[in-house]
Amino acid sequence: MFVEQTLDNCIKCNICVTECPVAAVTDKFPGPKYEGPQAARFRQPNQPLTDWSVDYCSGCRVCNMVCPTGVRIAEINARARAEMVRKGAFGWRTRLRNNLLARSELLGKVGHPIAPLANALLQNPLGRLAAEMTLGIARHAPLPTFSRERFTAWYRAHQPANAPKGKVVYFHGCSTEYYEPRVGRAAVRVLEANGFDVIIPPQHCCGLPLLSNGEFDAARNYHRRNVNSLVEYARQGIPIVGTSTSCTLTLKEEAPELLDAFDEESRLVAERTFDLSEFLLNLHTRGELNTEFRSIDLRAVYHPPCQYRAHRVGRPSLELLRLIPGLDIVESHAACCGIAGTYGFKAEKYEIAMQVGQPLFDLVRATGGPIAICDSETCRWQITHGSGVPSVHPMELLALAYGYEPEGVLQQQTL
Amino acid sequence: MRMNTYPDVIVIGAGLSGLTAAWQLAARGHRVRLITKGWGATHWHSGCIDVLGYFPIGNTPPVSLPRETLATLIANMPEHPYALVGIERLEAALDAFATLCHDAGYPLHGSLDSQWLLPSAVGAFRPTCLAPETMMAGDLSRHDREPMLIVGFERLNDFYPELIAANLIKQGHLARGTLVETPTLRRQKAINTLVLARLFEQATFRAEFIAAVKPKLGKAERVGIPAVLGFDNALAIKAELEKAFDRPIFEIPTVPPSVPGMRLHRILTRAIERAGGDIRTGMQVVAADTKGDRVTTIWTEAAARRVPHHADTFVLATGGILGGGITTTYTGEVREVVFGLPVNAPTDRMAWLYRDVLDERGHPIFRAGIRVNSSFRPLDGETPRYTNVHVIGTTLDGCEPLRERSFEGIAIATGFAVQDALPTTNHSTSA
Repeated sequence: MFVEQTLDNCIKCNICVTECPVAAVTDKFPGPKYEGPQAARFRQPNQPLTDWSVDYCSGCRVCNMVCPTGVRIAEINARARAEMVRKGAFGWRTRLRNNLLARSELLGKVGHPIAPLANALLQNPLGRLAAEMTLGIARHAPLPTFSRERFTAWYRAHQPANAPKGKVVYFHGCSTEYYEPRVGRAAVRVLEANGFDVIIPPQHCCGLPLLSNGEFDAARNYHRRNVNSLVEYARQGIPIVGTSTSCTLTLKEEAPELLDAFDEESRLVAERTFDLSEFLLNLHTRGELNTEFRSIDLRAVYHPPCQYRAHRVGRPSLELLRLIPGLDIVESHAACCGIAGTYGFKAEKYEIAMQVGQPLFDLVRATGGPIAICDSETCRWQITHGSGVPSVHPMELLALAYGYEPEGVLQQQTL
Repeated sequence: MRMNTYPDVIVIGAGLSGLTAAWQLAARGHRVRLITKGWGATHWHSGCIDVLGYFPIGNTPPVSLPRETLATLIANMPEHPYALVGIERLEAALDAFATLCHDAGYPLHGSLDSQWLLPSAVGAFRPTCLAPETMMAGDLSRHDREPMLIVGFERLNDFYPELIAANLIKQGHLARGTLVETPTLRRQKAINTLVLARLFEQATFRAEFIAAVKPKLGKAERVGIPAVLGFDNALAIKAELEKAFDRPIFEIPTVPPSVPGMRLHRILTRAIERAGGDIRTGMQVVAADTKGDRVTTIWTEAAARRVPHHADTFVLATGGILGGGITTTYTGEVREVVFGLPVNAPTDRMAWLYRDVLDERGHPIFRAGIRVNSSFRPLDGETPRYTNVHVIGTTLDGCEPLRERSFEGIAIATGFAVQDALPTTNHSTSA
């Protein structure tokens, strides 16, 4: 069913409003029911825009997950925002800011070659204050730092292991490429520990940050290029796996659905795309996962990102982590960390994002582990920002459990 | 906590019956996965446990002694879910549920030997069996000479204190209605039950509320307010207000979202997770694989593809025609949505509804349900269609929960009793 058609299923029960983490902390966003199915009835061609408040939807999709009648509320809101962009409802400054935040690939390409300088600028309090005053990028929001080496540079120099199980395409995403290549290294090692040959074809930003900022035309361009690059592998039946839950969700569903990309090639790519934990857990249910894990004596919170829940495949990372001996995982039931991609980086939304994440930050601090675990990059940065506890991707722990050398924050732990 | 990569039971649906079944089965050592499209009837219902309000249905006074009337019902209606469960198991289910709520700091009061008559959001009386402590002082059968002040909030829709008071007066009670506003509320863009419940969790707002209501108390001996006294500390909040007013106060259930319903929802979902159950929302079942008389796998809709779930046993708790477990088509078909089980309903579309929307006989389509045997296995003719599927809650045939006022009673009783139909488990038990 098309996104807009699902609004006819709305029975106005308000369950989405009860669970919405944004409406719980601010009345700038009255709730998904009001902004989604209700306001959508007034969003007709040649009609004025209904309300600005829909821009305060963070796109976390908690509403979709609890709706008893299957209304695609978050997607209705995303489309409403795109319509606002198309109609010029946002001023040039906001759109410039949103585009700066949303073009993660461009940012990486520009920032990476001058990493030390860019990092110095981005972490400089004065620079950040200026960015807030001129552009509206929240000065305290957890901007990442560029890494010295790009992930793909490491991969090209990397000596692949023996691969009896065949090929897997790895979609690393922008954050692995420019900010956290250690996540990509962990993913490659985990796949190789399971006998796979990891292929990394040319790839671009998945387009999700643009989709959630209503910049659909730019997102369509990125998605098309990714599909072109990946479809041949999909045709050969080679799985496409990713470590960024939002990238994989975008390839699977968000881009095709929001952009009406219902062509055969997009569908093929979507059907062959898996989150890496989902892929590994599928291996495990077939008895094919390498389970020779060494023990990791650690207690830590695992937070399933909203974007991962929206895959509707359960909590595969949690199930994998629980296979590692010694690892004591505290599952987070918090609705959202608040950051929601680019949302929490915006000056007018920063406080909302922090309040949304508060219960999760409290849990992480109360658990008191040396690390927190989360699949999504922006969520990890937000968790660390809000709780002061460093955060890692589940694959980093799996790689460690397979006996690989720890990297990053895991290096500093005596495990 | 156990993880349920390989569940032995899958419960489909997260209304009161599905949640009860998942909680009981998990507490008894089953590896339970609860699969649901979204949250359901718990967010709509009053937060009271109605067991039997009216029998026989029609223009009769409410049931006053449920235990006696249940015995009559069971004798006369052998296919009614209560007849399948029996009074003993019904009572055990209610006890277990009340104990769970009590242990969560949110006691329910009542028994099969009495009936509460509590005011509704239009001032009518509602017969109910178990009521949360926050609602008890509203009882219309025992305190009928105590004048009431009904307090509402400016801009809160669908809760009109003067309407409630007027209807209570018509029934011979003494009541007065009033609307209040506070500085915090004036600043709120929108007022609904959730906003109010969150505000009542803040001491500063409670102080504002007390200050606004106190001058209006007059001769009232008890105070009724919409059911918004917070989510997790309703009892403490109630006590604080009672101390300030020096009078008992009571909550009146609202239209959805229902805060007292959400409290029960939270208690149940926490109990399920504590017992190692795995709750998965956003998952709509779209297909099932069968082998002979067994269901082997169900498939849920997911991003880009379907996802399989295997289990030994499946408990169907998707609700009836109102809950979405049973649906109709324009061609006159009445369908059970997950397994396509045979539904007992009029085959002629013209026979679904009477002409008068408030017809006293009740529309036949609302009685559409799945016939089951004594172990809740769905029947095709007189034999079970599947041996490892059990149907519970208002998906069941033989009852009319809305008009009987038996929704929660049937949900909890069947959700509790279904464990007896399942093979016993040898997993570790920690009830």
